[in-house]
Amino acid sequence: MVSYLIRRMALAVVTLVMITGIVYGLARAMPGTPLTIAIGETDPSRKLNPADIERMKKAYGLDKPWYTAYFVWVGNVARGDLGRSISRKQPVARLIGERIGPTLALSGSALLLTWVLSIPLGLYASARSGAVDERAVSFGLYVLYSFPTFVAALFLQIIFAVWLRDTAWELPLFGMRGDGITVESSWLARTTDMARHAILPVICQSYVSLAWYSRFIHANMQEVVRQDYIRTAKAKGAGPWRVLVHHGFRNTLIPLVTLLGLSLPALLGGSVIIEQIFTWPGMGRLFFESIRERDYPTIMGLTFMFSVLTLAGQLVADMLYAWVDPRVSVE
Amino acid sequence: MSSDQTAPMTRSSSPSEAKGFWSEAWRRFRGRKLSMAALGFVLFLVLVATFAPAIAGTKPVVCKYKGTIYFPCLSYFDRSLEPVIFAKDRFRGTYPANLAEKDPESWAIWPLVFQDPYRSVRDNEWPGEPANPARDQGKPSRRNLFGTDQYGVDVFAKMVHGTTVALLVGFVSMGLAGTIGITVGATAGYFGGWVDMLASRLIEVVMCIPTLVLILALVAFVDQPSIWKTMAIIGLTGWTGIARLARAEFLRLRSSEFVMAARAAGAGPLRIMLRHILPNALAPVLVPITFGIASAILIESSLSFLGFGPPPPSVSWGSLLNDARSNLQMWWLVVFPGVAIFLTVLSYNLVGEGLQEATDPRLREARK
Repeated sequence: MVSYLIRRMALAVVTLVMITGIVYGLARAMPGTPLTIAIGETDPSRKLNPADIERMKKAYGLDKPWYTAYFVWVGNVARGDLGRSISRKQPVARLIGERIGPTLALSGSALLLTWVLSIPLGLYASARSGAVDERAVSFGLYVLYSFPTFVAALFLQIIFAVWLRDTAWELPLFGMRGDGITVESSWLARTTDMARHAILPVICQSYVSLAWYSRFIHANMQEVVRQDYIRTAKAKGAGPWRVLVHHGFRNTLIPLVTLLGLSLPALLGGSVIIEQIFTWPGMGRLFFESIRERDYPTIMGLTFMFSVLTLAGQLVADMLYAWVDPRVSVE
Repeated sequence: MSSDQTAPMTRSSSPSEAKGFWSEAWRRFRGRKLSMAALGFVLFLVLVATFAPAIAGTKPVVCKYKGTIYFPCLSYFDRSLEPVIFAKDRFRGTYPANLAEKDPESWAIWPLVFQDPYRSVRDNEWPGEPANPARDQGKPSRRNLFGTDQYGVDVFAKMVHGTTVALLVGFVSMGLAGTIGITVGATAGYFGGWVDMLASRLIEVVMCIPTLVLILALVAFVDQPSIWKTMAIIGLTGWTGIARLARAEFLRLRSSEFVMAARAAGAGPLRIMLRHILPNALAPVLVPITFGIASAILIESSLSFLGFGPPPPSVSWGSLLNDARSNLQMWWLVVFPGVAIFLTVLSYNLVGEGLQEATDPRLREARK
């Protein structure tokens, strides 16, 4: 077990170095530098003079070739320092810390909603397998699964922010906080305000995975109900629900548990498109902005975090798999 | 090579039983109504893309001008196909009035809808018809079936001409991804050992980089974005799933008896991989390619939607949605392209699922 873990970790470190190296090279190869893009775009008259640019380049290590700068970055990360954002003049770690809360609020509620709804839906589909209503529900889920998130987001915005404007159903178009809400507002007012802002993005973020998980559960259940032990359970007189939930569903938990591990990066990484549409101040949006601003330290910090999470998620999934299924051994 | 094919001795008693794998799969695919409908929709899109200039445009499909027959509509496919004479006679893209004025003898067959995907139609450009409404006035109407955008450009014409992009994105990028994926997967699976080790690491690295991250970085990396570069980028990033499946199939098949027989007959590795294993591994690999087409269309439209698409003259459904973001009260800018993207993605997913059910023997047995 320990030797397996060590081997996996060593491989993960190699992968991590390769990923960050590629992204660093790509980031540096993008046209423009953080100095020219950030300042030149906002205000052309405030363009820096060449001497200043040289001085700042030196300060940020941009005068070195990318591979040298990359090793400097690796050394800093190994010492626990993600560097300072060039365009925002703040430590990258603090930037990530600021953005991780909103992303977690969004994706956490989306994940919760997905699980709470998809398990009953999947079980319902399995119980009614083949019936007309099940086929309708399954097809509906399939349609939902193919519905592009950004189209859904625009539809929802039109309905709730334009057509239902000035009604009780109106929902905010974007952002995380309303105008009248300040730090002094009561806890209740702040929470309801944020919840109202979060409704549309949460719906957009959860419906695809909801459809996917329900179909996944249904497909797995179809496999399970053909097993001999299900027939045995029926034969000994267990009720249909008991057979379905107690005997059947418990055995579909195994693949479901590994999915939980694989959803780890999405949980903290956020969704670029949804956060961009609803201008939600989360990780995905930070990444999008940092690419636009050519803010290398932030791009790298986020890439590093995403990759660590993805690799950790895979490892956790494998470990969980071995843990819930005694037939599987990690060795 | 006939020596490595099993002769159909015992089974050929009735010819209908000796059907090949693919005709059998096609028969099963035809049995799925939804997948067939989806395939029909894809074919419909192919037709729309092919005949786009004849469906919506401001240039005649065919016209006779000063004694010669011309096809000015072809210039929608490529600028250089515009007959030189019209430039010389200073038509400036306005055909109806100029044709009648400069050659009273001329005749022309016009596209079904007289609207241009690149510009607004001017007042009286088509005799007796007013100009397109601009800004938020362009509700869908008889003249503008899907409305007009904020500059007065007809949305229907834009969508008809954008079909080409939507289709090409899927085919080109997945053609590229399929080629890379099968090559990497086949090499890894067939040779095994350190080759497999290296290839698997490469697959893992590309898989671990979040797709959008990689794509956004690559999009920023190319200097002048064009639709072909976008396709190449989607293809270059989307091959990992295909490679994994191809690797598994080649790994499974390389130790099978027919491969051993081929090797004994003296076939080289390339020949074994291409002629013997690939045809047997193709069906499972085609399924992720079909799903990949759906996701390629999604990625392209979300890139255009985020403003990273090809620059203005080229039309894509996603860029229409991008226009809609700042004009949400113009619902027709969202509904029509949105539904088009959705239906296309749904169709490819349904085709992919039909393909999966038709070619995967395990699923077939499970149905019984």
